[in-house]
Formats: sequence, structure tokens, C-alpha cells
Amino acid sequence: MRVLCARHPHLGLIAALRRYPELREEPVILGGAPELRLPVVAASAAAQAAGVRVGQPLRQAQQSCPAAVFVPLDPAGIARLRAAVCAELHRLSPTVEAGDEEAFGDLSGRHAEFPNEASWASALARGLRGVLDVEIAVGVAGSRFVARLAARASHPGRIRRVRTGEEALFLAPLPLDVLPVDPAVTARLAAFGLDCLGAVASLAPADLQRQFGPDGLRLHRLARGEDGAGIQPAPAQRSWSERLVLDGATGDLETLLRGARQCATTLGGRLTAEALAAVEVSVTFELEEAAAIATSGVPAAPAGNVAELWTAALGLLGQLQPRAPVTAVRVGVAGLTPAAGRQADLLRPGDGAREAVVATAERLRTRFGAATVRRPRLALDPGDLPERRFTWEAPVVAGSAG
Amino acid sequence: MPDSLSAALATLRSRYGPQALRRGGSAEEAGAWSTTVPVLDEVLTPGGIPRGRITLLAAAGHGPSGRLTLLQSLVALASRSHDAAYVDLAGTLDPGFLADLGADLGACLVVSPGPERWERGLVMARALVTSGMPWVGVALGWDQPRPSLWEHALAALVEAVAKRGAICVVAVPSPVAAPLRHASSLTLICASAGWQRANGDVAGLRVRLTTGKSKLGAPGAEATLLLRYPRPYATAEVLGLPSVVVPRLQPAVAPEADVAAVAARG
Repeated sequence: MRVLCARHPHLGLIAALRRYPELREEPVILGGAPELRLPVVAASAAAQAAGVRVGQPLRQAQQSCPAAVFVPLDPAGIARLRAAVCAELHRLSPTVEAGDEEAFGDLSGRHAEFPNEASWASALARGLRGVLDVEIAVGVAGSRFVARLAARASHPGRIRRVRTGEEALFLAPLPLDVLPVDPAVTARLAAFGLDCLGAVASLAPADLQRQFGPDGLRLHRLARGEDGAGIQPAPAQRSWSERLVLDGATGDLETLLRGARQCATTLGGRLTAEALAAVEVSVTFELEEAAAIATSGVPAAPAGNVAELWTAALGLLGQLQPRAPVTAVRVGVAGLTPAAGRQADLLRPGDGAREAVVATAERLRTRFGAATVRRPRLALDPGDLPERRFTWEAPVVAGSAG
Repeated sequence: MPDSLSAALATLRSRYGPQALRRGGSAEEAGAWSTTVPVLDEVLTPGGIPRGRITLLAAAGHGPSGRLTLLQSLVALASRSHDAAYVDLAGTLDPGFLADLGADLGACLVVSPGPERWERGLVMARALVTSGMPWVGVALGWDQPRPSLWEHALAALVEAVAKRGAICVVAVPSPVAAPLRHASSLTLICASAGWQRANGDVAGLRVRLTTGKSKLGAPGAEATLLLRYPRPYATAEVLGLPSVVVPRLQPAVAPEADVAAVAARG
């Protein structure tokens, strides 16, 4: 796999500077008013030159740079910019991910329009620069972690490529604090006299595993540039609903059932046509001269066709007790996900089963509560108390984190 | 056999599946998951814990029976080779103990439906099995809700386990409710045979296992296991994956000999 990582200023800062173009050369601090007990989310180059650091309290940032202009976060503006970044990357890359300060694109294989990877990456960087109107620092490597570090090592307007097989060489001189692990782990590594990633990579995996448990193996893979984390495209949070206005307000159960059935049939057909499945189903009754009543639930399996949607809606209808005549019925679906997963490897028995199990666990957590399905994990520094020996975490597919 | 009868049998098998018809008197064939513990794999069950069936670890009476420790040991063994889920309806699971038993916690999924939520726990177990979870352990607590509240969920779990060929082991207190007795293909009755002591400390529990019901072989087999309690905070053992369930066949042999044999094996 080849991953492109593009680093750019925080999207909130770009949105703010677009809104107030007169602040382009001024020290700008993103996060809100300095009276608020909030951290600095991002700072312009002028503010950083004055000593402002991301994460420090806003009041402290004001003391460092009294002339700075403080602007609040604009979630809508950030969402618009993120969507634009995704759309631009999607023009040239099949899988993309856009964060606040970096974007990832898949450069695996060949692109018909470009003779090599460098020109392909240049085209993506040019596209991003056009969308954001800032210079982008780009890194290309064989994994997400190495691509991110390559982008950090690059400069605005430049592309830093790490050839396949040279990841460990590139990582070797870097300090330990670039590792995306618990600072306690980094501190222990430093206590062992290890000062760079090359030193960590030269250790045997078994030694690291003995010291750090499963995290030791991850450390070893990271230090050698063999992390399996790829690009994690954000799932689209879409929801649809179908509303049927009844021919006169009624409390007749048969009529309400027919109305809900009609909505479910239309929605189910649409789900089937779009190859989507709904994680959550809701039913709403609009009442005459009274507030609407609604209920929602998570079916045991995502509803992807008329029959499944109607079964889920029918279960919800029994929970609604209208105290006034109903004027309209609405059936809604939310959390739409592709009904079919990825193509499993047919020659590898059990391939895809773990993803299905994790998806089921996530559905059970949504349905019964986050504490019902968890994965235990041994604590790195348990101390003396038995209850501190482990922590709980949500189940994820191995290799998808980080 | 007449041709018409053969044709009728073929039609029924084609329509309802190969398991729909079988000859009376013959033991059912089932795949088995080898526990690598000879007592379990050879003496009590033919080849190990059966796949696609419900296996019960039933307490013989009140008091410690070792069924939950045995279940957790089996989960730990299973987690070394594939994913395993533990449905904790008894509310007694300590993941640290599971780790001491040598479990790969990254492969363990712990389901905590809440006390007395048998129906919910069985529904969740069924959902996981249906999605491809190959090994599920269910620890039932002492407070039994009415069977009418959960027997349908149990029937659905039995069906899902059979369909997916999963391994499902249920630890159940005494007395065993009728739906569970009916659903089980293999029931191992666990009874305490006394504490194992070493240097004045409790080092483990000896458990006498009896095959109370078996659709896969003849019931009545007996054996004794020593469930050795792992050292607390035994990080090295977690990584070294030692054998924790130490079998001991009756008549008893010197415990020292067993420990040495296991050390040599591990």
C-alpha cells in the first residue's frame, strides 16, 4: 500500500482567515475568547512565532502574545472545508480521509493519467492547494505512520517520498516522541537507554512483547514502518425518512399500520436500490393539536430491505400510544452503511469474520449500552491494586487503530 | 432399500438438510475442538468439546464446583488460537485472572448483559455466533430467572451454534433448568474433590468431572482435573502461554510428577 499524507494549517484557522481576510498577516489564535478556560486549538504562524503553542490555555496564550486576535471555532465552516478536501482528493484517489490538520489519500497501484507516483502525488497536492489556498507539505510512504512523519519532515510546497523498503531507514534517526503510544511507554523505552526509533527497531519483537505485552509488537512494527493502519474513511452519517400525511386525522390502528407499511415499503425499496442498510429505525406519529410522539430502536441486524425494515418498524409501532388523532406517519432510518461489506478473501478461511464480529459488537453496544460488550486490556503500569490491572476498551478490528 | 424410499430420503435431506434424518441407535457425528487437555479430549469427550453443540459445565451442588474456573481456562485456551467471547451473566469475571490463565486478551470479547439478564445475554451470544464468533462461553449466575423468560433465546442460540458450527460452553449452577438440560449435547457435571495445597497455601482446586449426558458417546465417564490457580501478576506466564489446566487421571499420581510433566510440555 502507498499512502499520501498532506499536512496543512488547521481547517478552523483557514475558515477563520477566509471569513476575516484582513487577519492574514496578524497573529490569530483559534479556540475562543481568552476568558474561557479552553486550550488553544490552532495558531497562525505569527502567533506561533510569538510563543503560542497548541494545547496551552487561552489565557496563557494571551500573555505570550497580547496582540493576538482570538477567533472561535466554526464547525460549519470546518465541515464545508473538509467536504471540499474529500471531494478534491476523491477526484484522484479511491480512498481518502480528511482530518483537521492532515488529509490522507490512497496511492496504491497506478493511475492511468500519471506516469509515476511522484506526478500523481503532485497532482493531488496541487488540487488541495487550490481548495485550501495554502501551501501543503506532503509525504508519501508505505504506511500511514511513515507517511505522516514524511509529511512532517517535508516543507510547505514540497513532497517527501519514502521508497518501499526504505521505511526503517527513514525512521531510524527519529526521536521516540514521534511514536503514537502512551507517554509512559516512551518514558520506559528511554529508561532502557533507547533514544531513537532505530534502536527500538533493532530489538527482538519477543523482548518488546515481554516488556510491553501486545503493545510491544505494535511498537516493533511502528519502529520498522510496518504498521498496518491504512486510511480510515469517515463513514457518511446519512439518514432518510418517509412521511405520509393521512387523509384526515384518525386513531384507527389499521389505518396507521397501513400508513407505516407504505412508508416502510418506499424506504426499504430505496435502501435496496442504493445497497444500504439502516442501523437505527424510528417511527413518528404527528398528532392533531398535540406534540408529535416518536420512538426509535436499533434492530438486531441492520435493515436493508422492505421486509427487514417493516419488521423493525412493526416492533416500534407497539410502543407508540397516540392520545390524539394522528395526522401523519413518518418512518425514518439512520446510520446508513453499505449493506455489503468488502470482498472477503475466498482462499483464506474465516477472512472477514472478525470484522463481522466487531460490527455486531458495535451494534450490541448501540442497542444495549456501551458497557455491555468490551474488550479487556492489561494495564501497562498496574500498580498494586488488582482492579487497576486491566482497562476496558471498545472492540475494534486489529490493525485499524492508530 | 427400495428405490422409492431412497428417493424420499434424498428429497427430505435435500429439502431439510443432511442432519434432518439419521439412523436410530447411532451416535451423532460432530466435529470437535481439541482442548489439548488429554482428560477432556480423550476420557470425557471424543476428540474434545463438540462444535455446533451446547456443552454444559454443570455444578453438582452448592458450594465451589470449579465450573467457572474451568470455563475461564477453556476461554483462555481458545483465545490463543482464535477469537472467543465470554458472556458474564454470573458477574464474576476478572480479566486479570483471565490474563493469568494465559488468555490473549486481544482476542477476548467480554459481554456483560447485567445480573439476571439471561435472555439478553443469550440474545447477545446468539448475535455474536451468527456474525462468526467461533467460541462462546456463557457463565450463568445463581439467580435464575423463570425459564419462560429465556428459553426462546436459548433455542435461538442452539440453532445459531448448530448452523455456524461454533463452540458454545455454558457454565450453569445447580439445579440445572430443564431447557438447558434439553438443549445440551454434552453435560459435564463438576464437583469439588478438595483443595490442592502446596506449602500451606491453596494452589488449586481438584474437580471431579462426570459425563452426565452425551449425545456423542456413552455417558458415565469420570475423571479428575486439577485447576491450578495461576500466580497473580504473572506477566511472564501470560507471554509464555503455559498450560494452566493440569489434568490428572485417577487413580491419583504424585502432584509433583504432574507439575514436572507440564513444565516439560510448556
